[in-house]
Amino acid sequence: MKWRAACGAFAALLGFALGPAARCATFSLPVEEVARGLFVHVGQPLALDAPGHDDIANIGFIVGTRCVAVIDTGGSVRIGRALRSAVAEHTRLPVCYVINTHVHVDHLLGNAAFTGAHVQFVGHALLGDALSRSREFFLNNYAGDLEAPATAAQIVGPDRSVPQGGELELDLGARPLRLHAWPKAHSDCDLTVYDAATGTLWSGDLLFVQRTPALDGSLTGWLAAIDTLTAISVKRVIPGHGAVSNDLRAALAPERQYLQSLLADVRAAIAQGKPLQDAVRDVSPAHSGWLLWDTTHPRNVARAYQELEWE
Amino acid sequence: MRSGTRAVLFLLSVSPSWAIAATDAPTNGAWQALRPQLYGTRDISESGDQLMSVDAPASTPDPSATPVAVHFGRELVGRVHEVRVIIDNNPSPLVATMDLRPGLAVDEIDLRVRIDRFTSVRAIAETDSGRLEMRSAWVNASGGCSTPPSAAQGGVLGQIRFHPSSDDRALQISIRHPNNSGFQVDPRTGDMIPPHFISHIRLSVGGQTLFEAETGISLSENPSLRIVAREPLPAPLTVEALDVPTQSRFAATWQGQAAGTH
Repeated sequence: MKWRAACGAFAALLGFALGPAARCATFSLPVEEVARGLFVHVGQPLALDAPGHDDIANIGFIVGTRCVAVIDTGGSVRIGRALRSAVAEHTRLPVCYVINTHVHVDHLLGNAAFTGAHVQFVGHALLGDALSRSREFFLNNYAGDLEAPATAAQIVGPDRSVPQGGELELDLGARPLRLHAWPKAHSDCDLTVYDAATGTLWSGDLLFVQRTPALDGSLTGWLAAIDTLTAISVKRVIPGHGAVSNDLRAALAPERQYLQSLLADVRAAIAQGKPLQDAVRDVSPAHSGWLLWDTTHPRNVARAYQELEWE
Repeated sequence: MRSGTRAVLFLLSVSPSWAIAATDAPTNGAWQALRPQLYGTRDISESGDQLMSVDAPASTPDPSATPVAVHFGRELVGRVHEVRVIIDNNPSPLVATMDLRPGLAVDEIDLRVRIDRFTSVRAIAETDSGRLEMRSAWVNASGGCSTPPSAAQGGVLGQIRFHPSSDDRALQISIRHPNNSGFQVDPRTGDMIPPHFISHIRLSVGGQTLFEAETGISLSENPSLRIVAREPLPAPLTVEALDVPTQSRFAATWQGQAAGTH
């Protein structure tokens, strides 16, 4: 563990002459301890096809007295390794759980960095199926984010699952985590993690802050999940993307407002007999400040249309 | 004779050799192979947006359901009897072969298609007088997409929905169906998942066919067909869709807006 820290310091000392810290065997992802024993790395506000796209999601870990739970592993094995290195810098305890909040690459392709005899991968009951559908697509489109040569085996799925609508408690040693598996919302396999010791909710992509929310599950389902989340009381929320907040209700408000507008406007377009392409062209709710709006919003309209035309 | 030719072409179009052909950079390879099969050495005109055009997003917001619209200008409306849509770089390039019957003057046909990657999307129309017109559009499907097409989003297999325009000139017909490609391997068994798709769609009024299409796996999940006609569409209009491999037939009838059935 020490050599990793030393490696980082050494690289920093020699600076440019030696090249970046990546020149060391492994680099350590910067994390912040936002609550006692709860560490978060806030991802970059980049597009999914931009350089650095493997570091866009919020990922991190929670430390108990017995072991550590990692929550999401980033968009590449490289980022996964860097997170693992960050864990080792902050505790000598082993990782016992890797929890994935859903199936998207930016949260999950780092899983391979954590495989080991004593590590359990945990996810929504539908995560395994979602991964089965996705592996080939991930290999074709994100091979560069896996270890060369990229193999399907590196896209690690869950050993243990939480039934949809149900809960599972995991204990890290005097640190119980409550996992909840949601009905189809942002995706079809959203999972949240509540750390009772600090009153922190890890929301996964049920909450986007600053970055335009991306719809890949059900718009009506997502709004229902937001209603439920708005009513609960927590001290802190770690969103899937964007800044950590101490006010869950306030953090959800812009996302809720956007998704409600999307729902109303796409429903209206369908009622007027507009085809998909006209809805994509015309549905444009107010969007002050959302990042990556121009690529994400049109896709949301297309996805929402295909859901709502069956109402 | 004609339907025999089509069956052969369809088999050709789903054979894995196309998947290999489609690994090159954007080309019109599939078209070059299909052209002699479909149209021999006949002249095909490619100029004049007034006559005919193909609209598709230059960068598709959803590669699994990309809208493609074929428009006919005044000169062609009511005179086109067959339209083919081809996506050069898809594993199954021939999207649909559509027959338009006299009595339905069609301005526009919209389909939703799967786009594998950067490709040309082309439509070829044949008029009553045997003239061929082709127009195309480039579509980019790369980037910004974190997930593959979803699993079928539930609902009842074969359920049919109608969305008319307020003047009844346009009608969108959507069919609940996974329209699976069959190119995927079942991770649990290692077997190829057999294709399951809509192979034929027929629109008729009073038993008389107005429009029919042979379709394949390049149509999106929950296939959608939208027809815009010069005049209000006749009603009651019956839609029938044929499922492969079950040979199940799904049907529904649109009563027109006056009947208030939707």
